[in-house]
Amino acid sequence: MFQRELIGPHYTSNAFEESVRNPSVNSSKCSPAIELVGVSYGYAKKDLPVINDITFSIPQGQWVALVGANGCGKSTLVKLMNALLPKGEGTIKVKGLELQSDTIGEIRKTIGMVFQNPDNQFIGATVEDDIVFGLEGQCLSIEVMEERVKSYAAKLGIADLLDKHPSELSGGQKQRVAIASILSMEPEVVIFDEASSMLDEKTRNDLLNILSDMHKSGRYTIISITHDAQEIAASERVLVLQEGKLIADRTPTELFQDEKILEMSHVIAPFAFQLTTELHKYGLDISIPNCEKELTEALWPLHLRK
Amino acid sequence: MSEKLLIGRTIDTGSWVHRIDPRAKMVAMMLYVVIIILSNTWLEMACVAGFSFAIIALTRIHIKYFIRAAKPLWVLMLFIFIVQCIKVDDKNGAILLSIGSWNLYVEGFKLGLFSVLRMVFLVSFTAILTFTTTPGRLNQGLEGVLKPLKAIRVSPDRFTLMVSIALRFIPSILEEAQIILKAQASRGADVRELPWKEKGKMLVSLLVPVTVGAFRRAEDLVHSMESRGFRMGEPRTKYHRLVWRSRDTIFIGFFIVMLIAMVWMSGYGTGELWTL
Repeated sequence: MFQRELIGPHYTSNAFEESVRNPSVNSSKCSPAIELVGVSYGYAKKDLPVINDITFSIPQGQWVALVGANGCGKSTLVKLMNALLPKGEGTIKVKGLELQSDTIGEIRKTIGMVFQNPDNQFIGATVEDDIVFGLEGQCLSIEVMEERVKSYAAKLGIADLLDKHPSELSGGQKQRVAIASILSMEPEVVIFDEASSMLDEKTRNDLLNILSDMHKSGRYTIISITHDAQEIAASERVLVLQEGKLIADRTPTELFQDEKILEMSHVIAPFAFQLTTELHKYGLDISIPNCEKELTEALWPLHLRK
Repeated sequence: MSEKLLIGRTIDTGSWVHRIDPRAKMVAMMLYVVIIILSNTWLEMACVAGFSFAIIALTRIHIKYFIRAAKPLWVLMLFIFIVQCIKVDDKNGAILLSIGSWNLYVEGFKLGLFSVLRMVFLVSFTAILTFTTTPGRLNQGLEGVLKPLKAIRVSPDRFTLMVSIALRFIPSILEEAQIILKAQASRGADVRELPWKEKGKMLVSLLVPVTVGAFRRAEDLVHSMESRGFRMGEPRTKYHRLVWRSRDTIFIGFFIVMLIAMVWMSGYGTGELWTL
């Protein structure tokens, strides 16, 4: 589905409706993609731990939003999963494989990461070079690399930018290149570390559509660190961190209804949600909408009732 | 800043020289250095000039770019010229100019002129390498040329990775420096309006944020590389492979013929009248 939807100029359209029509996505949620048991981590021994005894597991194909105030340890936590930081206490398992010094290579093949700054994760001198950087490390043959560059560039809509230098690209385009570079390595888990925070509103929506399409394809387990209410609303599950501790693990709807947790995680509920909560106070019985369009649909029949 | 920076910039005209294997170009440039060193007479210099202009014409890049490439070195050239003029103290030679007890000899003047000419040719001509080759290909060529170093356990991959990352980030870091300069100017500390001494002080205050920024970038980059499975010394396949074609041999052939001609000319001391 990912392939079909992303090829062509209209890949971003009707992503939401598609998921409504086809609810049987991500059926293979059997063994966990990521499993953390009692994970703690501190940068220096004397300091307070940045990550404090965290345990959770993420089934395959799930889209998880990781939220929390700045400096609460979100980035540290995902970097631990990919062994970008030295091992702390506890165990981390990725696809059943425990993270140890001899399994780092294998685990990094399974997890792909897209970072915040689109400029600093651009390794190659051109878009094409950047995409093949990871593929060269996987020792793929030239034919396979060419095929992957072609197909993933087309999927992310950057096929005509392949010979461009990063300085010739916009932030959104660079972020697409970063995603293409990661997806071309065909990982099973993709982590977005505040990947949308340096983008403008429109590009952010584009990124959200890419994430939705990835999710619907069922091929990827997605963890996205974000402050963006829309992105949180689109995910299936929200993990809330505060001062290195996991304080909440719930669905986006449950999170948006809990003002206390919202405040602790520095998240603002989407407009449609806020409005619905206000309307509930006035005794209007409207179901919690997923998007503004849904809210409009729920509101206009009320006019007729009068 | 980057507008004036010609070093390392590719000017694409799609010429025959642009398509030459970067390894061939590098070897050719080394041969050119030898050719330049061997040219000791006006005739030889004229031959070198003719040869250089012919190759430059082949690149289809406007000559002004080559002249501009040598321009930043004018101070050094002037210095060399003056030193050569002062140094030659030929008691029997013809005097060109006398200032008090000091004489400028024709010989010294010629030597100075010759050194400057050599330098102009060397710098302008070798700019062909960067003008006609993209940094990426240049780097691949470098890896090829450095391959023999493997014998003494120096890894060319490591070196070329370093070069490619440097090439990739130099423009970004320059851009960041510009932004910091502008930020300082917007707070009333415009570097352009300051006297030279103050300018120096300002540049130090520029150095700190730029260095910190570079380290931050480096950390991000390392994370990005590692998360894409990069490990130093691990085997990798190559996406871009250089293929040696007959045109590459022909290109080097030009330089070899020129070199042989130079050796022959200097060996026979052609045209006594032409010598210095």
